Amino acid sequence: MLRAMLRDLRAHLGRVAMTLAAIVLGVAFVVATWVVSDSAAATVSSGSSRTDLAAVVQSRPKTPADAEVAADVVGRLARLPGVTRAEGVRSGYAALVGTDGKIGTTSWAETAGTDWDGSQRFTLTAGRGPQRAGEVALEEQAAADAGLSVGDSARVLLGGDRSDTATVVGVFTYRATGWEFDPAVAYDDSTAALLLRSRDTGAGATPGYARVELSGSDEQAVVAAARAELGTDFRVDSGSELREKQAASAQSDADVIRKALLAFAAVALMAGVFVIANTFTMLVTQRTRQFALLRAVGARRAQVRRAVLTEAVVLGLVGSTAGVAMGVGLGLLAMRLLPVVGDVAYVVSPWAVLLGYAVGVVVTIVSAYGSARRAARVSPMAALRTDAAVPRRSLVLRSVLGLLAVAGGAAMVAVTSPEDLTEPKRMLAMAGAVLAWVGVLLTAPILVSAVLGPLTRLLRSPRPVTRIALRNAVRDPRRTAATSSALMIGLSLVCAFATVGQTLSDDLTAQVRSAVPADAVVLRAAAFGMLDDTVRATARAVPGMTGLAAPRSGSVEVVSPQGASQDAEFTSLDPAAVGTAIRPRVIEGDSDLRRGVLLAERVATELGVKVGERVRLRFMAAGAAGEPAPVEVPVTVVGVHEGSDLLRGQLIDDALLPAGVSREGDSMFALGADQAALRAALERAFASRPDVVVQDREQLLDDLLEPFQLVLGLVYVLLGAAVVIAVFGVVNTLALSVLERTRELGVFRALGASRALVRRTVRRESVVISLYGGVLGIGVGVLLGGVMQYVILANPVFGMSVPWLTAVVALAGMGLVGVLAAMWPARRAARADILAAIATE
Amino acid sequence: MTNFDAAVSAEDLTKRYGSGDAQVTALDAVTVAFGRGELTAIMGPSGSGKSTLMHCLAGLDTPTAGRVWLHGSRHGSADRVELSGLRDDALTALRRDRMGFVFQAFNLLPTLTAWENITLPLDLAGRRPDQAFADTVIDAVGLRDRLHHRPAQLSGGQQQRVACARALISRPDVVFADEPTGALDSRAGAEVLGFLRRSVDELAQTVVMVTHDPVAASYADRVLFLADGRIVDELREPSADRVLDRIRALESVARGARTTVGAGA
Repeated sequence: MLRAMLRDLRAHLGRVAMTLAAIVLGVAFVVATWVVSDSAAATVSSGSSRTDLAAVVQSRPKTPADAEVAADVVGRLARLPGVTRAEGVRSGYAALVGTDGKIGTTSWAETAGTDWDGSQRFTLTAGRGPQRAGEVALEEQAAADAGLSVGDSARVLLGGDRSDTATVVGVFTYRATGWEFDPAVAYDDSTAALLLRSRDTGAGATPGYARVELSGSDEQAVVAAARAELGTDFRVDSGSELREKQAASAQSDADVIRKALLAFAAVALMAGVFVIANTFTMLVTQRTRQFALLRAVGARRAQVRRAVLTEAVVLGLVGSTAGVAMGVGLGLLAMRLLPVVGDVAYVVSPWAVLLGYAVGVVVTIVSAYGSARRAARVSPMAALRTDAAVPRRSLVLRSVLGLLAVAGGAAMVAVTSPEDLTEPKRMLAMAGAVLAWVGVLLTAPILVSAVLGPLTRLLRSPRPVTRIALRNAVRDPRRTAATSSALMIGLSLVCAFATVGQTLSDDLTAQVRSAVPADAVVLRAAAFGMLDDTVRATARAVPGMTGLAAPRSGSVEVVSPQGASQDAEFTSLDPAAVGTAIRPRVIEGDSDLRRGVLLAERVATELGVKVGERVRLRFMAAGAAGEPAPVEVPVTVVGVHEGSDLLRGQLIDDALLPAGVSREGDSMFALGADQAALRAALERAFASRPDVVVQDREQLLDDLLEPFQLVLGLVYVLLGAAVVIAVFGVVNTLALSVLERTRELGVFRALGASRALVRRTVRRESVVISLYGGVLGIGVGVLLGGVMQYVILANPVFGMSVPWLTAVVALAGMGLVGVLAAMWPARRAARADILAAIATE
Repeated sequence: MTNFDAAVSAEDLTKRYGSGDAQVTALDAVTVAFGRGELTAIMGPSGSGKSTLMHCLAGLDTPTAGRVWLHGSRHGSADRVELSGLRDDALTALRRDRMGFVFQAFNLLPTLTAWENITLPLDLAGRRPDQAFADTVIDAVGLRDRLHHRPAQLSGGQQQRVACARALISRPDVVFADEPTGALDSRAGAEVLGFLRRSVDELAQTVVMVTHDPVAASYADRVLFLADGRIVDELREPSADRVLDRIRALESVARGARTTVGAGA
């Protein structure tokens, strides 16, 4: 019995190879993902823990002036018993100026400058450490982003609006301690003491240390001695505590990476399950007569079933082995190609291998089980007929379940309302969307008949190529559905994310376009910084300026006439600029800030305040003693506006703001009679300010949208893997269908279909299946995205922006997939031997 | 061979399979012509080469040596084509436009309706069916009420009649029928044979039919007997009894080398 099966398998190596390939791909992706996440976790957590630290001393600041550790403290610590080394670490504002004359965003500029020392903080990758003034060492990534290497001259923007030009003598990688950002720039100690300051404190302030690192063989003794020496004004952490913290945070970072990657692996696996199951079903269908023959010569049902399952186990094991090997290879390759600076750890855990085998074997057995049962049910009589078929399962149950799931899912979304979208309601809506998505997968076969069936009747007149291709596609709805479902899984998720991304970026675009006039020139602080008073003064002095909005935001508590209050933000600006250089979206009332405040819609709704009523704005203002104290300002509500990222919270007149209230702004909007001339003038005025960028509205938008594009790009790449597996499914289905139809194709050829025509027919069938999967995936994906953006933004479900570009590209891509997937099967079909096909036995 | 109006003719047609000791000669320098407007039956025992002859005549198989002509609508017309040396696409077009086929296993395309199957050769050529002629053919095969059925919904006899209509729809120079009644019961077989006969009588169609059934052969105008790759005898105006007699005679010549009339192609 088993021998008969194995012989049979050997006789159909082509089909076996395709089943195997499906398993290999599915397993490989899961294993690769696991290897990447293990390696990424190890990379994140390795190389960063220092062994030369016994303790770290930091100041417990009462005022900003106390933030640093004074130089004499270092001396006291160095003299403590057990301390072999006390190294003060300097930190200050430093930003590398790139080739465009502006600072980049690689490092957190506020702490990006430090002093060079011989500790484990620095590992040189090129050159040497800085030794004297005029020399500087750069962190590897920052140097790469600024386009600098050893020997180049680097310009560094420093605190207090100074800058320094020095020769790059070394490039290093950095080991951070606790939660510390990697610095970008390292000077020798005395130069660092001279140059490094915080952003706002200019030259002249006492240079101190951000922390003191202590070395010593007895960690506990060092910690105790430091604590005894310094008292409660300083915080002393032991080296092992810091290492543990470091490891824990690296581990949690790695877990986040792993979870995200595995979510994508799960999606790819789902597509893989469809492909494997479908291939197995076809493999069994094509051997109906052989099973019938076995049954006719006396094989029991259980024997047939067992034989098919044994075959599945063997294929699963072989496929998994190849898949695990390929997955490990792919994973390690991906780690190589990842843009990671420094040492990359390559980790292949036993879990990755075990998981690969489990997935491959279990999925194959589960996929084969249904086929095995149906194979066993083949009547022995089928052996005698030429057109024998495996009994088909009814689609009724599946379709009913699918329709129920779709209806249930839609209902779950519908019962939640955007006005009052609480957390449980968000969960319910999201669960409903997922349920409906599963429902579509279940109803896919009847959808094939329902959609493509009428299409074949509608297209009565077309050439036989299209007609036959369509008919072939509808012929086995289950098979077509399984094939296109595999495509739909990846594609729908891509489109869902694209829809969310599009909605978010459209919202942002609309906000920016309505707030900022097209002819405004935008001044922005580079690298997440803020604009200072100098910038505002310089800008105001630029000739040709007719209006300047310099919004600055801070926090405020809004108190209603009834006494209800709400914590919120305020944005203060020059009333003259409102409506010209910057335009709030006024919903009610007007925007004349000279007469009062423009409330944000959310606050107005929450507090039930109407236009014309008086509210009190409660600010925290720094008093003369430096202690913040509340200051209340009663003011009339002149209007209500829709808040935006540029105009956050309550809009008030600059003049209305009490002294000592802290506020910051990162953008300014200037208007002039001649936009180009104004822009040129501003660029000249800020040519020596690498931290100020002059741009127009659309450039501002590009900057704001960039993070979305990056994240979406990554999501597309990862989900694309699922589509690749699905494409393989299309090839598989077509190839097996072509094998199944050898006779038909021979007749087709005998009756006068040229080889080209046969190829075209197969290709068109492939395109039909792919496009069907594409349309289904895009449609379902956009709806899923609709619910997702509803859950995130509380927009109406159908208020989403359809990502037309993605949709069109995806659909065109699916068409191309169809053509490519058909290449080999179509050639095979065209080569069908007419004589062999029409010969009767 | 040129003394009568032929639709298809072959000269020194030879087909060998294999090589060396294992070489088998399926056709041994056969020279033959099939009369226009005639129903010719090719008979012979299993392995006599009758199917190979037909496949070579239809351009489905490539002869080892010899030539095949498909004569045009008139004898000596410009439509005359020699098959050997034609490339696959030209042969395909020839089969589509100037030949018709009826197979033992019906071989209809399962996804197409009866009507779509019938008009498939025209569809493939991008031509519209001549409605009047299509009506004639469909009424002749008696399928008017079955046109929108799929093959799976038709009986064997009905399927074979669809296949006959498909073979005739393009008014080919010749229809090749390979054991057209092989898979049918005697009543359905008689219907199909009657239809082929009428297509010759009423539509002046040329039909070449391979069969092993003396009754089927008796519908023909002329019967050719094949043995060991050669034409060994010929009979005009046959009846089933005369065909059977002739087969017996041939068998006794072969000195009982074969005891039965071939059971298949």
